[in-house]
Amino acid sequence: MSVALVLAVMAAGGVAGCLGALLGIGGGVFLVPFLNVVLGLPFKMAAAISLMTVVATSSVVSAGTAGRSLINLRLGMLLEIASTVGGLAAGITVDRLSNSTLSLMFAFVTAAIAVLMISRLERRNVLPPGVDPGWLGGRFHEQESGGEVVYQIKRLPVGLGAALVAGSVSGALGIGGGILKVPVLNAWCGVPMRAAAATSALMIGVTAVSSVPIQYARGYVDPPMAAAAVLGVLAGSRAGFWFGGRARAKWLKMVMAAVLISVSVLYLLRALR
Amino acid sequence: MTDESSALGSLEVHLGRLLLAGVVSSAICLAAGLAIWLTFGQTIYSRDLLGLGLLLLMATPILRVVVSVVEYVRMRDWFFVVTTLAVLIVLGVTVVYALRQ
Repeated sequence: MSVALVLAVMAAGGVAGCLGALLGIGGGVFLVPFLNVVLGLPFKMAAAISLMTVVATSSVVSAGTAGRSLINLRLGMLLEIASTVGGLAAGITVDRLSNSTLSLMFAFVTAAIAVLMISRLERRNVLPPGVDPGWLGGRFHEQESGGEVVYQIKRLPVGLGAALVAGSVSGALGIGGGILKVPVLNAWCGVPMRAAAATSALMIGVTAVSSVPIQYARGYVDPPMAAAAVLGVLAGSRAGFWFGGRARAKWLKMVMAAVLISVSVLYLLRALR
Repeated sequence: MTDESSALGSLEVHLGRLLLAGVVSSAICLAAGLAIWLTFGQTIYSRDLLGLGLLLLMATPILRVVVSVVEYVRMRDWFFVVTTLAVLIVLGVTVVYALRQ
């Protein structure tokens, strides 16, 4: 284990964290292919290290949004039952999956993320202020409009299904999985985008923790590399939020979607090899 | 309703502080451990600090769920006591499975 490799992992974490914060999708989807393809780590090791950074990102982002009532603690906890079951199942079975199966899954998921990232449809899902949000819904103060936003939860089973899938994908591939469930919560379950994103950011930490201790015990988490990746991502996401306040670049989304499509093709070729 | 939402609001703030404390203490251990590893190579200090940092990182979300159980019990919100306990049981299975590896 060379010093140069650890420093490269830290730099990769920095870039991934920065991109993740700028795009609002978490950096795992960039970190895993970088560690795996560029630095040549085995896929399962890359995924396990990335999952450690997901835990750190979740804690930091949630600490930052806490106090604005954007995080729906009850909905999050209910969905976490499904996402942790998915994560645990993936954590146990991933050892038995071949690298080509994992590559195929990763190809499919990165392509799906690229499509979701550019075609992001946003529903407001806002009800009149007097309406009761119900036992699972929520209300928060929206800074832009200066008004109170009230929403109710619809089609809970769809949300639970999405959380189960996102949890399994997270555990197997080492990404947060937020981008897979946020659109579902927004489009079908009645959650406004910001509440869905804040709730998801809280959930991905617990979800990652339902599988990453198993990978750690199996020796897939190399401590110096994981530390370098975590510190890199923490620094990178800070920088990303700092840039993000200045420029909302649509072209960055298009460029990164193109990068993800290339990553997807690369993994498809690896899977078929 | 307002009582209930303000209770959830203060729970959100408490959990936010807990997560921040967890991730900051973990980052300090990881940074110290990595600095020692980079200068002196693998020593007992670097190994223990890196291990402690990673354990703190993984323990933080679990602790968040534990605190939530306690708070829902105090709010007498039994449905969410059960929900939160269910999440805790899944995490418990993960930890036990990991320890047996």
